[in-house]
Amino acid sequence: MSIQLLISGISLGAVYALVAVGFAVVFSVMKFSNFAHGGMISACAYAAFYFQRAFTPPPPIYITILFSAAFGVLLSLVIDTIAYRRLRTKQSPNIYYFLASITMSILIVNFLTIFYGKNLYAFPPIFSSTTFHIGSIRFSSMDTLILLISLGILAILVFFIDKTRVGLAIRSVAINPQVSKLMGINPDVTIMTVFAIAGALAGISGVLLAMKLSVYPTLGSQMMIKGFVASVIGGLGSLSGAIIAAIFLGIFEIFLTFYLGSLSTPIVLFGAMLVFLAVRPSGIAGRFAQEKV
Amino acid sequence: MADNIIEIRDMKVKYGVHEAVHGVCMDIAEGAITAIIGSNGAGKTTIINALSGTVRREGEIHYKGKPLTPKAHRVVHEGIVQVPEGRRIFPGLSVEENLLLGAYTIRDRKLIEKLLKDQFRIFPRLEERRKQDAGTLSGGEQQMLAISRGLMSNPRVLMLDEPSLGLAPVIVDDVFKHIQRIRDEGVTVILVEQNAKKSLCTCDYSYVIENGRKVMEGKGQDLLRNDEVNRVYLGADRDCQWDPMQDTPQ
Ligand SMILES: Nc1ncnc2c1ncn2[C@@H]1O[C@H](COP(=O)(O)OP(=O)(O)O)[C@@H](O)[C@H]1O
Ligand SMILES: [Mg+2]
Repeated sequence: MSIQLLISGISLGAVYALVAVGFAVVFSVMKFSNFAHGGMISACAYAAFYFQRAFTPPPPIYITILFSAAFGVLLSLVIDTIAYRRLRTKQSPNIYYFLASITMSILIVNFLTIFYGKNLYAFPPIFSSTTFHIGSIRFSSMDTLILLISLGILAILVFFIDKTRVGLAIRSVAINPQVSKLMGINPDVTIMTVFAIAGALAGISGVLLAMKLSVYPTLGSQMMIKGFVASVIGGLGSLSGAIIAAIFLGIFEIFLTFYLGSLSTPIVLFGAMLVFLAVRPSGIAGRFAQEKV
Repeated sequence: MADNIIEIRDMKVKYGVHEAVHGVCMDIAEGAITAIIGSNGAGKTTIINALSGTVRREGEIHYKGKPLTPKAHRVVHEGIVQVPEGRRIFPGLSVEENLLLGAYTIRDRKLIEKLLKDQFRIFPRLEERRKQDAGTLSGGEQQMLAISRGLMSNPRVLMLDEPSLGLAPVIVDDVFKHIQRIRDEGVTVILVEQNAKKSLCTCDYSYVIENGRKVMEGKGQDLLRNDEVNRVYLGADRDCQWDPMQDTPQ
């Protein structure tokens, strides 16, 4: 029993981690919480849903994920262009970004509601059987697939940020954009790269959430709150902190739901976040996050 | 004497309505050390920031005979690199990552490896600490790292803003020796300093800036003997007791 719960919790946590990391990567460079991320996740979920349905037989799931990631990149760059770029050139204070990102998220959710209504669309099933066995233990096919994809994507992302030239440039712009220019880095390009990464992550988590839950306009905003909690607990702007916090959050949530029911779980979760903020406001990653603010 | 690699003509810089540099002309000779000296607030940093493209400028800057791009990151790709005042290394990144950022404009991995080895040969300290957080280095080590980071781009022109600021006297001597070694390897150096005496002893040519204007120029040795320069910047003590040439190998 508890092994299945654990897998299911880690799987949920891994999706939260994708969301949290999309948040954290933008925060680390731009120093604002990109609340449009939730809207992007919803939009990508719809895009993936219609893409999957447009073909008979439906395309393999990895093609849909790639499509959704590409759609997310495009959408994220469009949002950056219309909502944030002008704020950057004017060097506006953070509150403007906050307002712009909330506005974009609400706009997207409203558009989706106007066009598609509030109905839930079930994502076409991709497995013939919802569970499989290893030995005597039963696993959910969906949870396992989501877990593998999420962890794979997170590993690629961490490698990219830690080990590549572009990743290093992103970290330097996060620390000091002015000095980064003196290295020959164009911070504008770096910022666009960061938004592209966030968009791809929104696209991937959009498909995974659609498969796991179903498609509806506020899907992304609900998940974003969890991702936001994880990125706050992890230490705003810290990728590794966000990943660790998100996975614990997922496990915590699944076990709480199992033992307390789904009604009281959010209260405990947000209570835990408040306690965490009071005890350790810099998050798990402490030192790293402090340098960024 | 070599040709001028940079020619600055009637350059002005404004911060809002306040003009900080009023129409300066300067020539920077290739392969030489050109010092820009002057008191605090004279406009020295502003001048090299204008060259770097981090502040907006009016007037003309020619580099290798062509107009210099005003975009900061492009200037680095063109081979002009600034080591900023106060070192500005990246805390939270390791020493090695700081150096690799210096080589951001270089795609050739072999060349990056070679440049990294060069820096480690000159400053074995940096190699010992290559995995350490650069923010934990001492002031002198951070200055060495900042200069090395600048050299990692394999520059034609290296601009150093107050490299001796806040360093112990022994370390200051090391820094000036290192600057001459850089020049001897063929890199053009622009040295901004308040430490007028050491700069004049070290440089080939110097400009004196006051209140955003060039007030004097000449060879380092000539300015050292100039009464006006002595009165304002050097006090009574006009001899180069410290002669960096004695310590330079060759
Ligand atoms: N970012 C800035 N905004 C407004 N004024 C500035 C700025 N930077 C420098 N200044 C002003 O420009 C003048 C020259 O400064 P600076 O170039 O830093 O001098 P120096 O490097 O010779 O000490 C000073 O009067 C300074 O107050
Ligand atoms: Mg200065």
